[in-house]
Amino acid sequence: MDSGLISLIKVSGLHYRYASSPPVLIDIDLEVSAGEIVALLGPNGAGKSTLLRILLNELTPESGTIAGPLLSMKSSRVLMGYAGEETAHFNSLTGIQNAHFFARAAGVEKYEVSEMVSGLMNLVGLSNEADKVVSSYSFGAKRKLLLLEALVHQPKLLLLDEPTVGLDPVSRDALADILRKCSQEGSAIVMASHDLNFLEQLADRILVIDKGRVVSSGSQIELLSSLGTATRFQVSVDTSSIELPQYFGEDIELVDDSGPLVFETTRGQDALPEIWAALISARVKILGVEVREPGLAELFRRVTGQELPG
Amino acid sequence: MKFLVTVMEFRIALARPRLLALNVMVPVVLVLAISLGGAPEFHAAAVYTVLFTIFGTFGSAIPLVRDAEAGLFGRIIRAGVPPSHFFIERAVGGSAIDALQLLPALTIATLGSISLNGWIRAVLVLWSSIWIANLLGNLVAAAARSLAETALFSAVTTLFLLHLSGVFRTPLPQSSWAVIEAFSPFRALHETLLTGPDGTSTEFPLGLVVWVLILPVVTVLLARSVTRSLQLASDG
Repeated sequence: MDSGLISLIKVSGLHYRYASSPPVLIDIDLEVSAGEIVALLGPNGAGKSTLLRILLNELTPESGTIAGPLLSMKSSRVLMGYAGEETAHFNSLTGIQNAHFFARAAGVEKYEVSEMVSGLMNLVGLSNEADKVVSSYSFGAKRKLLLLEALVHQPKLLLLDEPTVGLDPVSRDALADILRKCSQEGSAIVMASHDLNFLEQLADRILVIDKGRVVSSGSQIELLSSLGTATRFQVSVDTSSIELPQYFGEDIELVDDSGPLVFETTRGQDALPEIWAALISARVKILGVEVREPGLAELFRRVTGQELPG
Repeated sequence: MKFLVTVMEFRIALARPRLLALNVMVPVVLVLAISLGGAPEFHAAAVYTVLFTIFGTFGSAIPLVRDAEAGLFGRIIRAGVPPSHFFIERAVGGSAIDALQLLPALTIATLGSISLNGWIRAVLVLWSSIWIANLLGNLVAAAARSLAETALFSAVTTLFLLHLSGVFRTPLPQSSWAVIEAFSPFRALHETLLTGPDGTSTEFPLGLVVWVLILPVVTVLLARSVTRSLQLASDG
């Protein structure tokens, strides 16, 4: 982490379990600085949402410490914002009435609430639905309203659990822009998501969590460079017809032939026709090809041995 | 206290006119049926007292558990409303709305038997009793893990307090029950609704006043525990 950034919250050696269940989080260390966007990446049940709720002070860890200036800051506004996976609202009231309530509850003054809410309504694309009752909203509109309510008081630390669920591509891009702006203005953001494109677009730092442990962490550049720059092709073949050629093309290496054939190349997808041609000419029966570019999905696969859902 | 929750309670009530109308009409129909049916005064007063108090506890506890299960309660607390403010503000709004909805039924129940001053006293006693019922509803909700349990616990708690208040018994002034009755929350409402030829009781409603003052303190003291319990309910 850049030592020039102001640390807002620091979690050390954190353990958590629900009642007598097995541990959900094991020895978690995490430091979040002002302006930083931290992504939590992991399969369902990895402990990402639990970690967010501990940061919110909603769950008490079994052991470990949570410290940092954020916890002792004095402010007339609530310092954290949270948008979870639920879409619960006052359904019989309008979007704007809901947004005003949550803004005022978080400490936004009466004189500034209308301007702040309507500005965000425009940004998230809800202004046409602002005066409609929430029960008539689509799932996506409810999610947008939820995000708006988490952002409206300009929190110092924004915690987001699956923020892009239910958002169309335009709203997703708008959310990315809003989060970038929040980060530039000094807010720290911690988000758990399976939306790898979204994380790649925004995250300064990524924690890969699996079975309650941080299995890999670092900046995107650090993590992706650990993968190398090679593109991988996984080719499923009919094993009865296997008689593999020795040469597949320039800078193409067969790295694994124990199951599906795994090729690596730094030439990207341009190398695929050559591999294809070499296999066809050797009369290998090809059943399927999967291309794995270096990226978060590949990182996750290599670190945890699992595929990310979605 | 910004009374955001109280204002929201009023907005929600006004945004659902059908429910508002039902909440006015159903007690009116029940009270009309009993008063026109020639029920004995003691029985009629008992039924009215049960109706009005259960209206308060159910009306407070059930929406609270429903909102907790949906995650709305957790969101409100997370947004920055202190738990103690939430429960008190909710009871302020809920009791005012319930009292207004029950006003026509109360007027019918006491029609022709009390003076204007007696009616004003009856309204204040009703409001105070429903304030107690609303605060009880908040506490009962903390013990429930489903809507069915909420209904059960609300009914049991209210009926027990009604029993202590002497609603289901013939009063025995010299017994130890009389002391318990004096400090019970719903005795004043029951006596107000016992509209005999002499009008309603003018006795100081000690039990009512004690509960009106003590229950908010208890609510504030228990607010964090109630919140934790409701959040556990929402986690399933």
